[in-house]
Amino acid sequence: MKKLLSGNEAIFKGAIRAGARYFAGYPITPSSEILQQASLYSEENPEFRFLQAEDEIAAAIATISASLAGVKSFTATSGPGFTLMQEALGWGHAVEAPCVFINSMRVGPSTGMPTQPAQSDLFQVKGGSAGDYYPIAFYPNSVEESFRLTITAFNAAEESLSPVILLADAFLSHLNEMADLDGIEAEVVPRTKEPLGKGHRLFTGTAHDRMGNVKTNDPEAYRDWLNDLKERHLTTADKYPLYEYIPRKDSETLLIAFGITSRIISSLKERFSIFRPIRIYPVLERELKEITEHYRHIIVIEGNDGQYASWVEWAIGRKVMRVPCLGGGFKLQWIQSQIEERLKEGK
Amino acid sequence: MIDRSYKELLKLGRFPHTWCPGCGIGAVLKNVAMAMKELGWNNQNTSVVSGIGCSGRMAGYMNLDAVHTPHGRALTAAEAIKTVRPDLNVVVLSGDGDLASIGGNHLLHTSRRNPDITVFCNDNEIYGLTGGQAGPTTPKGTKTITSPRGEHYQPLRLNRILTTQAPYFYARTTVYHLNHFKACIREALLYKGFSFVDIISDCIELNGRRLGFKTAHQMFKWFDERFHMVEGVRDHLKDDELGIAKREVEAEVKAEVEEVPMEKVEVKHEDLKTFTREELKHFDGAEGKPIYIGYKGKAYDISASPLFQGEKKMRCHIAGKDLTKDIEIAPHGEELLFKFPVVGRLKEK
Repeated sequence: MKKLLSGNEAIFKGAIRAGARYFAGYPITPSSEILQQASLYSEENPEFRFLQAEDEIAAAIATISASLAGVKSFTATSGPGFTLMQEALGWGHAVEAPCVFINSMRVGPSTGMPTQPAQSDLFQVKGGSAGDYYPIAFYPNSVEESFRLTITAFNAAEESLSPVILLADAFLSHLNEMADLDGIEAEVVPRTKEPLGKGHRLFTGTAHDRMGNVKTNDPEAYRDWLNDLKERHLTTADKYPLYEYIPRKDSETLLIAFGITSRIISSLKERFSIFRPIRIYPVLERELKEITEHYRHIIVIEGNDGQYASWVEWAIGRKVMRVPCLGGGFKLQWIQSQIEERLKEGK
Repeated sequence: MIDRSYKELLKLGRFPHTWCPGCGIGAVLKNVAMAMKELGWNNQNTSVVSGIGCSGRMAGYMNLDAVHTPHGRALTAAEAIKTVRPDLNVVVLSGDGDLASIGGNHLLHTSRRNPDITVFCNDNEIYGLTGGQAGPTTPKGTKTITSPRGEHYQPLRLNRILTTQAPYFYARTTVYHLNHFKACIREALLYKGFSFVDIISDCIELNGRRLGFKTAHQMFKWFDERFHMVEGVRDHLKDDELGIAKREVEAEVKAEVEEVPMEKVEVKHEDLKTFTREELKHFDGAEGKPIYIGYKGKAYDISASPLFQGEKKMRCHIAGKDLTKDIEIAPHGEELLFKFPVVGRLKEK
């Protein structure tokens, strides 16, 4: 049966469907509803455990530790909280803990505009923590897709043994839509990590070899370990080459947009081709290359000052045009006028 | 014959360990392992969590599933593990810099939530691994490489912080007072709830030598001079006492201010001043006048009501009027009015 749901509700329900048994979080707009639902759900279902932590640092560490202890776990936050979680994210990659981090983006930097949507955490998601790591991140654009992609994120986490990031924005989190979540069938990957209390393993953020032995002066052991990690992440990501492509034969212009921006400009499909990456990281390099070949103009429309545009340029090796929707201003008319301007400049 | 079976709990393949000769951490690791072995704790029912620092390396030498967290986060990790796996005994082995400085916030909140975990804090009053910088527990006046003229500030007194909110278990011991040390470890491991053992330990290489000590043993003697043992379980420990402070019952929260019932002075109806309804209207709070209202033949001075402050009316109640009918239909009863003084009686129409 169809029900009216918000993006945050759908994300929480998706996590439960994926088998999540632990949530730790700290209140922050616009992701607090997930925290609230987790607290209520834990009262009614004792097997689901919940922690309202003292800060996002603790929330993220608790999420990863619960995963090591043996259950699927997740946390939710927004940009400033995600910044505090970077330490734990790096640790999560080092100890190879499968879990899900939800980042509902708002305007930054710092406190920014707490209630206004943005898409400006892309760089932070890719490499906000110290060292080399290879995060996987998905970004839905509707309530129903939020549900599906939450499950996908949990599956990818189990397969890649890492914290997978589900992106959303203030707009999507609070978007209410009709969706029939019970009718959705989704494959759920079971736990892949042996819980604590079984062996003699050491889960450490210090450099270690494949067996978990601390190796702080051994480049070769480090290289082997990192290559293993990279390969596993890229193989997992290859299973989920998610994107949406709406071609229009007579158009010479391709619009690239994702998340809520792709919903706002969806009516422009009458005039332009539209490409929507769903898997944000690793960047859809091959797909972008193949699709952008057919177009003279490429315009990236996003809620930040050209973060994804930089990735597109890196992937396809040529300049693209940018329409940055800053400070929570996502008006279709304004975007249209900007596109016209860019096209005039481009000719 | 000394029982050496505790060595099953150590990864002897990794030895020799990373700590300097004379360091107190080895004693902490060994005695915790011995106590765990005695209690039958092993890799099937126990997990160990460490933070960062010299003492953070302890988890890596325990022969069971161990977690080595980022700096300061050992307590949060241990709490989460205990939450989802109540069947596991969770032990935290870490140091004072990790637990009290960078992890200070987690120390406050994890102890408040009182999970059933045991924390062993190797308190050597210095940041040893990074070369001997002043730590949160470094005594005032101590020279370190970041306080070359002596530490300026008072140290954090964990005994005071951790014994303010019951239930609590706080023990202070040293690596020198061996029997006391062993007893504290055992008590803490058996305690149901958040137990914290503050183990005064030595760092001879990066703290002791700068202070003028030649050997670790001289530092132990110094501990013996600074601290003395107290018998039995106390409510609190003084700053120079070694012992156990414990309180298991949650402290009852009493209201700060007790409500004192106001004495009512009964005034005879006949003695009251008589107001006509016209006269009553003047007392509407304007220009510093009191606010009077009428109710069932009496006039009340409600100037003190917070709801009427600075206003001539509170929602539908208008100052200076007979509110008998208003109060009958109001969501509150007439008892609200009785706490205000009666100033007169209303003249019948």
